[in-house]
Amino acid sequence: MSVVVAVLVVVVVLLSVLVAGLLRSHGAILRRLDELGTGLEVDPGAPIGSRVVPRTDGSVPSPPSDVPDGRPAVDLAGHGPRGESVVVRVVEVPHDTLLVFLSTGCGTCAGFWDEIAATREQVPDHTRVVVVTRGSEEESPSAVAELAPTDVPVLMSSAAFEQLQVPGSPYVVQVDGPSGRVVGEGTAGSFAQVIALFLRSDGDARHAAGGKARADERRERHLDRILLEAGIGPGHPSLYGPDSEAGDAAGDGPTDGLGEGPDDSPADGGVSAPSDRGTDAEVGR
Amino acid sequence: MELTGYGIRADLPSGWEGTIALDRDPDSIELVGIGASLQPVAHLASFALPSDRGDFGSGAVDVMSRDDVFVALVEFAPEEAGAALFAQEGLPRRLDPRAFSERSLQRGLPGQAGLQVFFHEAGRAFCLYVVLGDADDAHRLVRDVEQVLATLTIEARR
Repeated sequence: MSVVVAVLVVVVVLLSVLVAGLLRSHGAILRRLDELGTGLEVDPGAPIGSRVVPRTDGSVPSPPSDVPDGRPAVDLAGHGPRGESVVVRVVEVPHDTLLVFLSTGCGTCAGFWDEIAATREQVPDHTRVVVVTRGSEEESPSAVAELAPTDVPVLMSSAAFEQLQVPGSPYVVQVDGPSGRVVGEGTAGSFAQVIALFLRSDGDARHAAGGKARADERRERHLDRILLEAGIGPGHPSLYGPDSEAGDAAGDGPTDGLGEGPDDSPADGGVSAPSDRGTDAEVGR
Repeated sequence: MELTGYGIRADLPSGWEGTIALDRDPDSIELVGIGASLQPVAHLASFALPSDRGDFGSGAVDVMSRDDVFVALVEFAPEEAGAALFAQEGLPRRLDPRAFSERSLQRGLPGQAGLQVFFHEAGRAFCLYVVLGDADDAHRLVRDVEQVLATLTIEARR
């Protein structure tokens, strides 16, 4: 009996060692897979080969930080006023889209129809204007065709009103193309007012995103021109303090040509930047 | 997204848009007065199609980038379906990148390449006209076109 017990103990010990070894090798395989970016908990949307930490706390993926805060838009399909079938892409396209929802009957819309063609040049280059009316079951295609500007796409689709939750007309929805998000919407008394608000918000957005307002850009170009006329280009020693690394580097290395020439000397008169602001050089970008 | 009209149907991939409209060429409209009928023209593109454009893409190919492609499916009068020009049967689903040429462009623009194929399908006569934004990248761009051609269906007119 004791012999049987001893054999069973030995078997149990051997099996325990075997299981422990298997668990260890399994853990090593999982760690290796995780390092290669193909772990079992990897986000399937992540780029191949990227190092992704598995989410084990029940959290959900968060959207990229560069996506504007707005509801998602949708691509639009419908008919044109001449009976043509039309699909207009507004999502995942390089340009922004300004969807102008109009009707043929409302008084305020009448001004919009006339103004859209006339004020199109004021719309930024990266923005496309598309007029949307309700479908032929609610609007007369011939009336829309009569009012429609020739060089602006016109889409008749009641579904577009529902999909983008448009409360009525006139109404304008601005869609950010790359993200496909609605970044602005509302209405105004005229299309010129819409454009003015749109341009202002566009400038604000660029300012908030780290871009420069138009006035700042103009001022910067003006200052750059003055400095360049004085022979002060990027890396010019007068733009940096005596102990500045940038100034040393600029003085030691080759210049890009803008600062070269007979006036390329800190001792020269002309314009010089205060040394405590020297690192803010914006010349000649 | 599905685009359907005049017996032509296409399922457009992401980023593509299109229209299917009756031929708006002034010459065609003039012929209607002597009993001719307007034929449909389908435009499919990987870029934003301008409103004012010709049947073969004039006005559109001018604004396309090197990464873009433009596809026009232009129908001719049904009685032409039996003509020698339209002898090829069926819409071509695969295109040979080497067949694209600058000389095939209706409107020659630097860097672009075009291809015209005449065929008949479902008793209807068509010209498929494709413009690539970059002739040097024909193999990649043709694959994009073929992705759309695979979804194109043509039904007999009633």
